[in-house]
Formats: sequence, structure tokens, C-alpha cells
Amino acid sequence: MRHGLRVLRAFLSLGVLNLVQYRSDFFIALLNALISLVTQVLALSVIFTATSDLRGWGPNDLLVLVGIQFFIAGLIGVVMRPSMEALMEGIRLGTFDYLLTKPADSQLLASVQMVAPQAATDVVVGVGVVAYGMTRLGVTLSPLDVALFLVMLLAGLVIVYSFLLLLATCAFWFVKLENVLVIFQALFGNAGRWPVTIFPPWLRAFLTFVVPVAFAVTVPAQALTGQLGGGSALLAVVVAIGFFVVSRLFWKFALRHYTGASA
Amino acid sequence: MADVGLATPDSRPALSRFSLAALASFYRERFAMSVAVNVAYRGAVAIWIFVTLIQPLVFIVVWRTVAGEGETGGYTANQFVAYFLVMMVVDHMTFIWHMWEFEWRIRTGAFSPLLMRPIHPIHGDVCENLAYKVLGLIGVLPAAVLIGVVFDADLSGVGLGTVLPFLPALVLAMVLRFAVEWCLALAAFWLTKVTAINSLFFALTTFFGGIFAPLAVLPGWMQTVAVWTPFPWSLAFPVEVFLGRRAGADIWLGYAAQLGWIMLALGGLALLWRRATRRYSAVGA
Amino acid sequence: MTAAITVTELGKTYVVPEREGGVRAALVALVRRRTREVKAVAEVSFRIEPGEIVGFLGPNGAGKTTTLKMLAGLLHPTTGTADVLGYTPWRRDRDYLGRMSLIMGQRNQLHWDIPVLDSFRLNQAIFRIPPAEFRVRLDELVQLLELEELLRKPVRNLSLGERMKCEIAGSLLHAPAVLFLDEPTIGLDVAMQRRIRSFIAEYNFRTGACVMLTSHYMADVEALCRRVIVIHQGRLLYDGDLAGLVQRFAAHKTITVELEEGAKVAESVAAGLVHGAQVERTATGFTVRVPKTETPAVASRLLAALPIADLTIEEPPVDQVIEKVFAAPTSEVDRDG
Repeated sequence: MRHGLRVLRAFLSLGVLNLVQYRSDFFIALLNALISLVTQVLALSVIFTATSDLRGWGPNDLLVLVGIQFFIAGLIGVVMRPSMEALMEGIRLGTFDYLLTKPADSQLLASVQMVAPQAATDVVVGVGVVAYGMTRLGVTLSPLDVALFLVMLLAGLVIVYSFLLLLATCAFWFVKLENVLVIFQALFGNAGRWPVTIFPPWLRAFLTFVVPVAFAVTVPAQALTGQLGGGSALLAVVVAIGFFVVSRLFWKFALRHYTGASA
Repeated sequence: MADVGLATPDSRPALSRFSLAALASFYRERFAMSVAVNVAYRGAVAIWIFVTLIQPLVFIVVWRTVAGEGETGGYTANQFVAYFLVMMVVDHMTFIWHMWEFEWRIRTGAFSPLLMRPIHPIHGDVCENLAYKVLGLIGVLPAAVLIGVVFDADLSGVGLGTVLPFLPALVLAMVLRFAVEWCLALAAFWLTKVTAINSLFFALTTFFGGIFAPLAVLPGWMQTVAVWTPFPWSLAFPVEVFLGRRAGADIWLGYAAQLGWIMLALGGLALLWRRATRRYSAVGA
Repeated sequence: MTAAITVTELGKTYVVPEREGGVRAALVALVRRRTREVKAVAEVSFRIEPGEIVGFLGPNGAGKTTTLKMLAGLLHPTTGTADVLGYTPWRRDRDYLGRMSLIMGQRNQLHWDIPVLDSFRLNQAIFRIPPAEFRVRLDELVQLLELEELLRKPVRNLSLGERMKCEIAGSLLHAPAVLFLDEPTIGLDVAMQRRIRSFIAEYNFRTGACVMLTSHYMADVEALCRRVIVIHQGRLLYDGDLAGLVQRFAAHKTITVELEEGAKVAESVAAGLVHGAQVERTATGFTVRVPKTETPAVASRLLAALPIADLTIEEPPVDQVIEKVFAAPTSEVDRDG
């Protein structure tokens, strides 16, 4: 465990050095985040001139939700997605073998190997938007609410990570499908900006259990805006554990196949 | 006899003079080539098509929820569905991706061999782009039909009287958007990172082009600004013609606007390209 | 006869950002950016006649590729002029592009995923090659480069050497009168290097096309180029034939001595005769490296004093000479021939 943390810290500090070297990346990331935010806020303002609420979600509720989407997107973009992309490329080019020769768990190494610290701008923007939305809602949160929110957030992150890992692990078999992560990006970036409750039941199920957008964004947002039911909360934790276990098992299976089959 | 084969020919084709036959011959070869490549990478192509479906689907869900039982800005829930599914097809037929590729092309020097050819690199990009779009219809059209059925699209305004004027509008829209966005792609010659300017451009396209919502639903000031940009003429206009929301003189005015913008865009393109190659040659290939 | 390529005071200066290492300097660079000028090519001049094969030698970063790119029309020079076949290259006149060819080693101009022949047909369309002429040239190139088996394969499936052969063939379909070759044999195995070298020589012989080639491999230059231009730190160091290059820059010669059957010579005796120069024993005698000027004297002393069966005097290998030339920073300019 401690070894794993040290590995993580080493990679992160490398990433920080990179950040300082490439200042343009940082400013560009900030610009992109702001453009994305303004676009979404503009969209919301257009919608709320036409209606007063979206299936029980008011403008400030939606702001909180968008903030959470930015926050999660940022966390995904900082280390999860770059590492998964690097994993897939490593498998394609054969450089993945280097990871296998290192004295640490290969899944951990593969998951933290690449850091893009400029995505942290999304995290910062997200926190800001959530804070703003919450103040406008005027809701006061008890310590229990906050704790529940954090647990839901963690569950959401675990589910997203496991899902991305599952997708990336497919690269062991489908080497030519390097853009498969784009599916998640597009779904998360589009559907993830809206509460999953507005979708018809069959789409809602897809966005909950197949591509886990709901647990990543809507559920934590519900925890903050007071719309979360106990059943959903429990389901989130269960699904998180389930996804994590399945992705780990699939990883081990893929490794056995990879190292067994190759000469 | 063998020596005659490789020896320098007595007469050479006048490459500086424009030849329609030569260009057509190039297009035939290049288009066929691009189709072959897309077929070879059909897995990746399928993924891109799947991604194309996501945004319209989300907007359908959102705007249906907003419209509810009534209507918003002249659109009922089912009319929103119709709008977005037609927009999905038009967006697919007009978009280009090269503004994401130029940065790579410049960094790796992939432009150099293109500059050494006596043909403008835009032609190769057009062929590549058309091949993907045509093949992509195999996925996009059935998906549009499916969405229309599942979400109960209201296509009552559509008929032969709307489809016929739609076709030239679509072709003009394709030319316009390609020209405008290829100009955007040229920004890569001056900016080392183009993601921000691309994102900004796509944000503008999403609103002023009518991708996020039909223009009639947007606030008044947005509609006014939109008309003076090329965006609605490459997206919303053909969609509205198809759905029968534009009639008579309106359509002819629309064609005129499209043509006007095309000329502006092509002029800008020629100018920017000259500047771009000068910069490439100065900074390093 | 009008020259195929005339270069006058051609120069190229780049402006590059300057950054030191370390976190502190990087933080400073966030706020203030410094630049400096790099002279990649400094006022070079030369003439190349039609039909010549000229080798461009120089270490990495010497300016060879930059010069080649300026002559091909990819780069605008900062100073000077160039005339290739009557055109100014960087204007990229379409007629000029149809008369020249730039082939870069390890760079693919053919399309990756489709059969080689289809890429060739695309070039035919681009260069407006009449079908009959295309057919004849293609057959010729296929025969000379042994491409018959490769035509239907996608470029992706070819080995590096096969890919290079196809790249070269594809670049010659439009009958260029000037060829610019940038490291054409880099990364290839020895057999393939030889094959490509002989093809270039054959092509030059059959068509009279002018060839300018840069290479790291002395074997390329020795095999193909009667004339070499040496570029070092952006300056033209030498322009003339290869033999002359060695003569001018080689400071030493090697004397190889074969002693008579059974004869033995003591260390001290040999050392005395060569006045302290390095002596290396061989199976049949010894070799000694002697400064050029002293070679005749040392040779005659050895011949007079020792039981010698055979004595040879050799220039050092060309790449050793070149290496020495590049190792020493110099601003000498020499023109020959």
C-alpha cells in the first residue's frame, strides 16, 4: 500500500514538472474549461427562459450537477484517462511489456502511468460552480449530508475508473479500436451534463448500469441537492464494489491471456 | 528500347494550368482510396458513428422534457424530435475534423510531402471527408429512422415539396462548412495548440448553427447575431427547409446567403493558405 | 551548358526559444521568454551541372537537410538565391514540382493502408502522367527495383527496405530531372543499401537526372558520388572530389610492412626507424601511422634497413578523415574543381 502511494507520488511530481515546462498547456486547459462552462451555462439559461424546472431540477440544481460533472471530468482527465490511453497505446506498440517487468502491481502502474495536470483546471472550475450553485440554493448541509456526498462521490469515481479500465482492457484483444474511450468521453460529456432522471427508463438504465454516467454525476449531485434516496445511495456503493471487482478480475484474465499467448 | 522508358519525356504536362479532367481523375482515385481505408478501419468508423448519435439524442431528451405536453418556440415535443434527427443527418453530412489534425500534420512534418505535390492539399481532404460521410450514412440514416420511430417524431411538414429544395441547400451547406472550417484548421500554422480556438468555434457552431436548439427557440439577440454568421447557413437552414419551416422567397434568399458566404469563405481560404505556406516555409518544415 | 542547380550565398537563420534546465529556470520561462538566433546555413554557394551525382556530407545539424529542403522548395531562405532548372524553388511553381522529386528516408509519402499500385496510380493522376508513359515507366521501375511482388500489398505490410524501394519508385514516376535524396538508405540492411545505391546510379545513367544526396553512410557517398560538398556548422567546407577531400584533410598515412619469411625485428629497432611513431605488430609484420609529410622519408628508411617482403602506403579510411574534420571547429572554406 505504502509502495503504491510512493509510486503515485512519483508520477504526480513528474506531472507537475511537466506542467511548469508547458505553460501553454495550462492556459489552454483553463480556456477550454471556461468555454465549456460558459457554453453549458448559456444552454441552461436558454432552457430556463422556456421552462421553470426540468423534472424537478431547478436552474441552481442543474448548476450543482454541472459543477460535479466538471469535477469528475477533471479527476478523470488528470490521471485516469491519460493512463488508460497510454495503456492502450502501450499494448498496441508493445511497450506495455515494460510495465510487466516492474516490481509493482501492473494494474496500479498502468492506472497512474500518465498524468495530465492541466485537467486539474476542470476540477477547480467544478468546485467553484458547485459552491456557487449551493450558495444560490441556500441549502445548509449537515455533516451527515456531506459525508454521504463524499461517499457517493467516491463510489462514482470508483465506478468510472473501473469502467474505463474495462474498456481499456479490451485493447488486449481489439488492438485497432484505439478510439473506444471516446464513447465514454462523448456520453459523459453530453449526457453527463443533465440529470439522468429526465431520460426515458430504458436510456436511464443504460446510463446507470452499462455506461455509468448516473452514478458518476447525478447521484452525487442528488446527495448535495437533497434528492437522494437511501436506496440509490446503497445501490451506488454496491455497484461500485461490483464494478471494481469485475474490472480487476477482467484485468487479471487479460494478463493471463496476454502473457500466456505471446511468444 | 528500355532506355526510352525511363528517359526524360520530350513534352511535359502544363501542371500550372488548371485541368478539370486531371482534377476529376484525381478525385476518382483519391475517393476510391479513402473508401477503401474507411472500410479497412470499419470498427473505428462504427465507433465514430455511434458517437455522432449521442449529442442529438441528449438534446432530444432535454427539449422534449422542456416542451412537455405543450410547445416551446413553435416546436412541440415531437417536432423537437424531428428537428434533432434531421439536424443529426445534416451535421454528419457537413462536419469536418481536419482542424484537429493540422496540429499533428505540422508537428510531424506531414505537410511537407503534401506541399511537394502540384495539387492543393484541400482536394485530398475533401475526398477523405466525403468518403467517411458517405459510408457513415450507412449507420446514421437507419439510426435517424430508429430514433424517429422510438421517440415519435412529427414529420408532418415533410414532403417532396420540401425534400427537393433541401438537396441544393444541403450541398451548399456542405461546401460552406467545409470551406469555413478548413480556414479554421489553418490556424494551426500560427498557434501551436489549437484546442481552445477549436472549442470556441464549436461552441459558436452549436448555438448559432442551431445544433443545441432550433434558432426560433433561442433568445432574440442570439437569433439576430446568428443570421450574420455563416453557422446557420451550413446547418439550421437546410434542416428548416427539409421540415417545411421555410417557404418560397425565404428559400431563395437562403440560397443566396449560402452562396455569398461560400464566396467569402473561399476567398478567405485562398488568402490564408498563401500566408500559411509562407509561414511553414519560414519556420521550418 | 547551363547548370541544373545554381546556389548563391544561400543562408537560413532560425529564431529559437532558449531555456535552461531545472525547475527555477522553467518558472522564470513562464513569465519571460528568451530567444536566440541559430544560423543553420551560412551563405553557401555552388553549381551543379545536369547529370551530376553530388554527395552532401556533414554531421547532424550541419545544415545539409536544411539546404536540401531550400532547394526542394520546402523552406524559404533568409539570404541568397537559388536556381534549379530555371525555377526559384520556394515559389513552388507547379511546373517545378513536376520536374523534381524529394525523397526522404524513413518518411512515408505513400498511403499506409492501401496497395502500393494504388498509391502509384494516385501519383499518376496528380502529375498528369499520360497512361502509355505511366505504363512504360512503371514497368521499368518495377523491373529495376524488383517490385513485382510488392505492388498489390498495402504499404503497412512491407518491410522497411521494401517500403523504401516503393517510395523511390513512386517518386520517380513523373520523370523528375532533379532528385533530392535525404538519407535514402538510413535504417536499411547492407544488402538493401547496396541495391538502392546501384539503382540510383543506374537511374542517373539512364535518364541523366541530376542527383543531390545526403547521407551518413560513407559507403553511399563512395559508391555514388564523384563530387562531394562538405557542410559543417552551416558553412561550406569543401567542394570537390572525394579523393581530394581525403588528400586535403588527412593528416596521416598508414604504412603497412610485411617482413620476409622468418625474419624478426626488435621493438627498439623499429621504433628508432619511425622516430617514435606508433607501431602496431601484425601477424606478418607491423603497421605504423606517420604524418603525411614524413611518409616518404620513413618509408625509404624502413626499406633500407629491414628485410621487407612488401610495403604499402595507404590513406586512412574516408570516414575517419571526415570524423576528424567535423571534430575540429573550423571556419575554413575550400573550393576545388
